[in-house]
Amino acid sequence: MLESAELYFNVDHGYLEGLVRGCKASLLTQQDYLNLVQCETLEDLKIHLQTTDYGNFLNNQTNPLTVSKIDTEMRQKLCREFDYFRNHSLEPLSTFFTYMTCSYMIDNVILLMNGALQKKSVKEILVKCHPLGRFTEMEAVNIAETTSDLFNAVLVETPLAPFFQDCMSENTLDELNIELLRNKLYKSYLEAFYKFCKNHGDVTAEIMCPILEFEADRRAFIITLNSFGTELSKEDRETLYPTCGKLYPEGLRLLAQAEDFDQMKRVAEHYGVYKPLFDAVGGSGGKTLEDVFYEREVQMNVLAFNRQFHYGVFYAYVKLKEQEMRNIVWIAECISQRHRTKINSYIPIL
Amino acid sequence: MAARDVRTELDSLILQLLADLEELEAKRAALNGRVEEGWLSLAQARYAMGVKSVGPLQYASRMEPQVCVCASEAPDGLQNLRVVRAGAQIPEEVGPREAALRRRKGPTKTPEPESTTAPQDPLNWFGILVPHSLRQAQASFRDGLQLAGDIATLQIRISWGQRICFPNFLQ
Repeated sequence: MLESAELYFNVDHGYLEGLVRGCKASLLTQQDYLNLVQCETLEDLKIHLQTTDYGNFLNNQTNPLTVSKIDTEMRQKLCREFDYFRNHSLEPLSTFFTYMTCSYMIDNVILLMNGALQKKSVKEILVKCHPLGRFTEMEAVNIAETTSDLFNAVLVETPLAPFFQDCMSENTLDELNIELLRNKLYKSYLEAFYKFCKNHGDVTAEIMCPILEFEADRRAFIITLNSFGTELSKEDRETLYPTCGKLYPEGLRLLAQAEDFDQMKRVAEHYGVYKPLFDAVGGSGGKTLEDVFYEREVQMNVLAFNRQFHYGVFYAYVKLKEQEMRNIVWIAECISQRHRTKINSYIPIL
Repeated sequence: MAARDVRTELDSLILQLLADLEELEAKRAALNGRVEEGWLSLAQARYAMGVKSVGPLQYASRMEPQVCVCASEAPDGLQNLRVVRAGAQIPEEVGPREAALRRRKGPTKTPEPESTTAPQDPLNWFGILVPHSLRQAQASFRDGLQLAGDIATLQIRISWGQRICFPNFLQ
């Protein structure tokens, strides 16, 4: 089978690839970040953002400006761009986009269920749901009492339906079960997305598969780290690890037995990719494991733009945009809390 | 002789007042530090989990307090304010309810509302697998609470000293 991406890709997807590369060029630069870091108030931040590609996106927000409002508006902007891409896409790029939105859908479902536990009104939560993960059956999520209810009554027609195979149970949805549901859904989703990319082959598989493998391993490490000192048992923990990464199967088995950070680090030292990441944790900058993983993710996503004729550029663009939003929110929080010691802990992209 | 006693007592009261003021300043600075740390750790948790995952959506509008302020009389007649866990206050009521719970652990598995013998950790509102920064935030805010109780006690003592003690002595 000849590698045919260069011959046929532009017929269906050339316009969108050109568009996404243009969007990528408008990400904030190091100079923009230096300007933002020097702002004294959130109003200054808004003025500086007006000179970038964000423009007047905060003009509809009433005073006083809060970090949460900035985050909401940034998300809306990304969603508008993404919807434009999705509306102009053809198969199989459309399926690829659907896969990308599934992770946000899972987050929204969990947000709605947690809100139901805390007796919040559905309208209040719907406003805060991620716009990329919107689907019509969202409002009905809070009526479900068990996972089977949730599947049969609400989610069976959505793209999330295939990911429910391992999660069906009759247990009532309390905090622990909701957390287990979130991680199991995400595991199924990641494995399905990985298989889709691998079956597609071509440059897409070459770019996306390492990115998704890293995502799977990152989740395994973070789940392990956060489960120390909680009521989650080791067997339960092992069922949450996605199996499409480099750690499968020996690494995951070792990770399931780890009881503290040093044991986890020893597992990571068996893998050439992860050893330097774990070595960078701590140090003089006080970097956490999450920071180190975010940096590595940014590296991989920037490199995705070095190849042409693949779908990975769309995934990479959305992830880089998300990192940019995280950076801006972090800077905004430091400004609003007037605590500037760690304001430079953002991750520059371009 | 009496005048000298009054003067020595006045001196010791002034020294006590100044020592209290110094302690109050130190405790206020510590409280500010703890609260700032707590808020920064919350911002770090938002960086790791997402901005909408650590916010007003995660807590109920009505909550059961986990700590209470306990007022007691100190030997010198002043109020002493301490911050204590809420559960520790009502030992009498837990007894008969515990026996009732033991009976309920039989074969019937109807989900009955459990009495709050073990108050739920607010950390679980944000999920079971929370990042380390959220736990740090909780620890900082808890330390701040203890300091707040101490600061209140100190302020009562200082204002008593200023209002009542000195005018009486100077007469």
